[in-house]
Amino acid sequence: MTAISFGDALNRTLHDCMAADDSIIIAGEDIAGGAGIEDSDVELGGVFGVTRGLAARFGTGRVLDTPITESAFVGMGLGAAATGLRPVIEVMFCDFFGVCFDQLINQAAKMRFLSNDRIQLPLVIRTTMGAGDGSGAMHSQSLHALVASVPGLRVVCPATPADAAGLLKTSIASPDPVIFMEHKGLYGLTGPLREDEDGHIVPIPLGKGRYVRRGTDLTLVATGAMVQEAEKAADILAVRGMRCEIIDPRTISPLDMEILIESVAGTGRLLVVDEGAAFAGFADAVVSKISQKAFAFLKSAPVSLTPPHTPVPYGRALEAAYLPSHEKIVECALRHFSK
Amino acid sequence: MDIEILGKYLFKAAFIRSFEQRLAQFSQKGLVPGLLHLCLGAEVFEVILCSKLDSSCDQVTGSHRSHGLALAMETDPVSVAAEILGLEAGLSAGIGGTQHLLAPESGFLSSNGIVGGQVPMAAGAALSAKVRGTGGIAVTVFGDGAFNQGAISETMNLAAVLSLPVLFIVENNGLGQSTAAGYATAGSVIQRVRSLGIAAERVDSNDIEAVDTVTDTMTAWVRNNGSPAVIEALVPRLGGHYHGENEAYLGDQKVPDPLHTLETKALNSGLAEDQIQDILSRARQDADSAVEQAAKLYPAGESLMAKWSAKLHWNSGVGLLQAGGTDT
Repeated sequence: MTAISFGDALNRTLHDCMAADDSIIIAGEDIAGGAGIEDSDVELGGVFGVTRGLAARFGTGRVLDTPITESAFVGMGLGAAATGLRPVIEVMFCDFFGVCFDQLINQAAKMRFLSNDRIQLPLVIRTTMGAGDGSGAMHSQSLHALVASVPGLRVVCPATPADAAGLLKTSIASPDPVIFMEHKGLYGLTGPLREDEDGHIVPIPLGKGRYVRRGTDLTLVATGAMVQEAEKAADILAVRGMRCEIIDPRTISPLDMEILIESVAGTGRLLVVDEGAAFAGFADAVVSKISQKAFAFLKSAPVSLTPPHTPVPYGRALEAAYLPSHEKIVECALRHFSK
Repeated sequence: MDIEILGKYLFKAAFIRSFEQRLAQFSQKGLVPGLLHLCLGAEVFEVILCSKLDSSCDQVTGSHRSHGLALAMETDPVSVAAEILGLEAGLSAGIGGTQHLLAPESGFLSSNGIVGGQVPMAAGAALSAKVRGTGGIAVTVFGDGAFNQGAISETMNLAAVLSLPVLFIVENNGLGQSTAAGYATAGSVIQRVRSLGIAAERVDSNDIEAVDTVTDTMTAWVRNNGSPAVIEALVPRLGGHYHGENEAYLGDQKVPDPLHTLETKALNSGLAEDQIQDILSRARQDADSAVEQAAKLYPAGESLMAKWSAKLHWNSGVGLLQAGGTDT
């Protein structure tokens, strides 16, 4: 098992997939970088380096830098997906979904349905999410539940390098459009990459969550960067005598209800920590579905921990006040679930 | 012009006219689920345009007003009619309906319920043709109303800078729903497009020779150069925004009907009066029979919705461990 960063795991997966399948193309803003600048031979490889080396290896016919026009290039991606290519389109920040919402929620999401399955749409929209780096209100949102609420879109939120690689591989192979959300705070996170005996990345199915750790007293549900906060909190809570079970659903849609119900059946308590919306977000969705489907197992009311219902603030102290953290998880767990 | 070709154009355009008029009658009887946005007046232009395309490698995308384009691309008329009537034998089993006709197998990728929404995907079809080396082009048809949408300016720019073989067709019928193009559009279509360095031509759809030449030249130009081009086609809208709307705002405008112009042109080019009448009556009979055949078919029911509900379900039907509560 090779230790690799989250960003490099994604880069490696893009390289492997493109080498194996000529129909995969990549397009987005600055993904090769320096387009049109004379004597520019240093590849930017995307603002986070995830697309590094692709243009040099596969050529600018398959790796396209686009103008800053999300509607046009997301729409181009879905049109290409409908006509024989497997495009991986990068939208630099999920906040920019606001610019191309028609192409996402009307065009990409509905095409398979409107064609009654005569058209497959193997389209991946890679994007970033998450606060914590001072990027402010329009480069920091976590819109995973917003897009997951639209039928026809699949939404992936990996939390480890192995999951990032395995889920991206599956997303590229998917006949449905997939919104692949990479938390900016995770790019430097290192961990093992899961490869088979031939050195191929092991794909991870969409809709299959994972136990981050087992426990008996409280089910902690977290995705993306919140998984690490949940782990830190669980360490502290263990010292206080509360053994937490941590579930990372890994994909928002499809959502692995089985693992969630199985865990709640064991612990009887649920705390969902999420960086998304305080109202009608992912935390509310999990609390609602568990309340409906596993009510009999619950020993107390389920709880969600999210940022306040405000846009993401800029200043360091403000942003820290905004974000859920392991300290807040500990405080919340003790307040609601101390026996 | 060759009278055989004129005869073909006339048959197809008349077929589309009759097809839509028959559907309009069904609509008046309450048998069409949605509102019908008829292409009355655009048939001739669309038939000539599509005659220049190769459905094995080209793809067309259109607006909410696309019955005629789907038919001009030779999509099976019974399937089109059944789709518009919301029936199981429709292109998409009645899931899409009048504004969402998808027939990629005959080179009609998609029509669209969002004004301008169909335009970016044409850049994708063009990219696909380019990367896969099929020799195909994409053609996207939209109105003067859509021309002001950002997605269209973005896509024209993208197609130009990435050299994508897309032919943009601005069907200028002078009206975006009930708003005049002159009120809604600053400058002119051709000026705006040429400022992007894109080849552009304007053609009046009542000038049959010019339509034939311009569509031929521009499709060939896009195919041979692998770069975008624009045609602004002046087409009349001979009815309301949709069939049955209050058309009082249209006033008392008299616009020549390109279908009559084509008829006259065919006559003047040497097609006999009785041949023309024969073409028109065959077109009417064929169209009526297609729509009536479709109308005898059945709507899809709950099982189709159950299939799609399972396919798109937020948990994809992962087996649930039930512990009371409802399954939603």
